[in-house]
Amino acid sequence: MTALVRLRLAGFLRTGRALAPVLAGLLALGVLYGGGRAQPAEAYGVSAVVLFPVLAWQTKILLDVEPDVQRRLARVVVGAARERAAGLLAAAAAGLGTVAVALVFPWLVGGVTGPSGPGDRPLAEGLALGLWAHLLALPAAVALGALASRAITRSAGYGVAVLTLGAVTALVLGLSGSVAPWLVPPVLPTARALAGPLAAPTGLLLTAWALVWAAVALAAYGWGRRRRA
Amino acid sequence: MRLEGVWLRYHRRGPWVLRETDVAIGPGEAAVVLGRNGVGKSTLLQLAAGVLRPTRGRVVDRPATVGWVPERFPADQPFTVGAYLTAMARVSGLSVAEADRAVRRWVDRLGLARFHGVRLPQLSKGTAQKVGLAQALLRPPGLLVLDEPWEGLDAAARDLVPEVIGEVLADGGAVLVSDHRGETVRLPGARHWSVAEGTVTEAAPSGGAATVVVELSVPAAGVTAAVARLRADGHHVLRIRDHAAPPPATRPDSDSPSTAAAVPGSAAGQPGERGRPGPAEVPVSGRPDVDEAPASGAPGRPGPAPEVAR
Repeated sequence: MTALVRLRLAGFLRTGRALAPVLAGLLALGVLYGGGRAQPAEAYGVSAVVLFPVLAWQTKILLDVEPDVQRRLARVVVGAARERAAGLLAAAAAGLGTVAVALVFPWLVGGVTGPSGPGDRPLAEGLALGLWAHLLALPAAVALGALASRAITRSAGYGVAVLTLGAVTALVLGLSGSVAPWLVPPVLPTARALAGPLAAPTGLLLTAWALVWAAVALAAYGWGRRRRA
Repeated sequence: MRLEGVWLRYHRRGPWVLRETDVAIGPGEAAVVLGRNGVGKSTLLQLAAGVLRPTRGRVVDRPATVGWVPERFPADQPFTVGAYLTAMARVSGLSVAEADRAVRRWVDRLGLARFHGVRLPQLSKGTAQKVGLAQALLRPPGLLVLDEPWEGLDAAARDLVPEVIGEVLADGGAVLVSDHRGETVRLPGARHWSVAEGTVTEAAPSGGAATVVVELSVPAAGVTAAVARLRADGHHVLRIRDHAAPPPATRPDSDSPSTAAAVPGSAAGQPGERGRPGPAEVPVSGRPDVDEAPASGAPGRPGPAPEVAR
């Protein structure tokens, strides 16, 4: 399966279609960090929100770049379950690359600063919380991108609709005072939690929420792919 | 491998493409899937290969290693021939050294050596089809599924397909192949599955008593002696025709008149007979529908009407 993950990552990177989401991500981060310096944890929380649709889009591109018949060839060679898993793992690996860029980027443009006052978090804690926020957004974004992929939606129009609807709903239902926050992954609640002091139970709750949401969405993807080769 | 009570439709409210399909194929057996365009041949092959999942029923005892040659190879990929085949060999579980060996073997065998560094989108249709064939054979398949494997192939490669099939069968593999151009007459021992109106029926397998038709070309001046010699050897000369009017699905390779003679069939397509120097020999059919060109101007027409071999 590792070989299939590598093949799909290579296909994604060599076609040049990886450029569009990366540029969009950098542009969004540039706007985000253009406003001035912020504490790392708070800034990274917002960065994870901004990156959520970018990561989902990147996943859709990675899965769609492979021709349908090549995807079926892979299915014949490694089996249906491993073919699905290899696509998701390749998307997760590509997503980790984008997350790494997002974590380094603000330091290059001076968008974040180390602790300056007595109430500020230590630098290491800020970085760790930033990494955590991005890692919470990644599985949900991969799942959304997979649900929007051509193998499921079968047409470009439906694919874009699923992607856009998913990203917009995640933001709208994630606002404070939302009627059904549980329907969407906790990208906005995580950003809000990082703006102030974060209690351990809140952190655990957000982690569980993000993982359960991603698991449900990935199960839906697996179910949808049963009859969609 | 067996398909047990398999039904398939592509959409929940769509029409049934296949209904109540029960077919089986064992190790060392070949089956030819016949039928008109759009009748469900590819669907049946994809069910057997494991690309599609039956809507109802099940597929049991599918061998662990399946090679599938799709009808059209997906050439829109940013890899060279060598890199693609190596990656597919690694995906199928071969080690780096095994993958290199397998790729070298099939690249040489299928005449892909000079395309090794060429990117897939730049390949001609036939060369891309050869890459599709190669990827299915990198790991010796227990089941080889070929969807119209002759499409776009040149003469030499077309002759190679039955040879490769013969090797897979000899290694105990099963082979399923679809064809709508009569090329599968090159597989004389194969069973015939006919797909029509959603059902698959199996024609009676041809046994050892089956005959096949061999076309061969002889110099025009020596045709009478050649015919006499063939008859003396117990062969049944079906007809003599001029080279200028080749029948469909055959490729006369010389400029002299051709004769067609019926000879006893064999199960593996006699791969060793191919590629010899000398007068061109084109194994042709027992099916009258692919062998119907008139023998205009041919001397004498000594043979009777074409014989149905199976």
